Amino acid sequence: MMATAGEQVRAYRLAAEPGTRVLVASLGLACCAMEVESAVRLGLLRADADAADPSDRTVLLVAGTVTDALAPAVRAIVDELPAGTPIVSFGACAGTGGPYWDAPTVTKGVDQLVPVAQYIPGCPPRPEALVAGLLALPFGVAR
Amino acid sequence: MSPVAHGVIALLPEACTSCMICVRECPTWCITVESHAEQVGEPGARRPRTVSILDRFAIDFGLCMYCGICIDVCPFDALEWAPAIDNSAANRNDLVHDTERLAGWRMHD
Repeated sequence: MMATAGEQVRAYRLAAEPGTRVLVASLGLACCAMEVESAVRLGLLRADADAADPSDRTVLLVAGTVTDALAPAVRAIVDELPAGTPIVSFGACAGTGGPYWDAPTVTKGVDQLVPVAQYIPGCPPRPEALVAGLLALPFGVAR
Repeated sequence: MSPVAHGVIALLPEACTSCMICVRECPTWCITVESHAEQVGEPGARRPRTVSILDRFAIDFGLCMYCGICIDVCPFDALEWAPAIDNSAANRNDLVHDTERLAGWRMHD
């Protein structure tokens, strides 16, 4: 049985700014998923053991190649989040389709499904670039 | 944090001859070079030399694979890895960085 969208999100907190709660769409979309994992290993993202606090600034991170086949799963995750949760795209594929810009089965950026608040470029981005991108995110911008 | 070696690709505009090799070798075609030709007359020369003048060099980091092929193939070392990581953007079009921004990231003169 397919897991529900809620089960496909892992929660982290940004070590540099613990009030920033980072939900990672855990769909295993290509190699960028490993790079997010490396940010966890470097201690830049910490697994979120706490309950969500109203003062938290929560973002959804979509990392990796979004294929047209997986697009509905991404959409389902977004639909279960509170309205206005900023979406951050991580990596060239999630941002624009990247090297697959001309591939018929690849969604040319997650912004074809949902508006993106911040694009972190890279193939893959450095874990440090993930932190810098999240810190640069203009919170309060409605999606 | 660990030191960042491959953060962004920086440009040394003075070294660029607008030869377009990077543009053609880039797997994702994320580099744009705009240039114009100027004729340089030298005293005593039979005919003037034609040189390319770089007008604009842009990298679309939204598409860039950070493979470094452009750096490898540049015959004039006009491109180099730089440690900057501040190239995220709130708008997809702002992932395109042109001459001045790329030059601002460089490590060498």
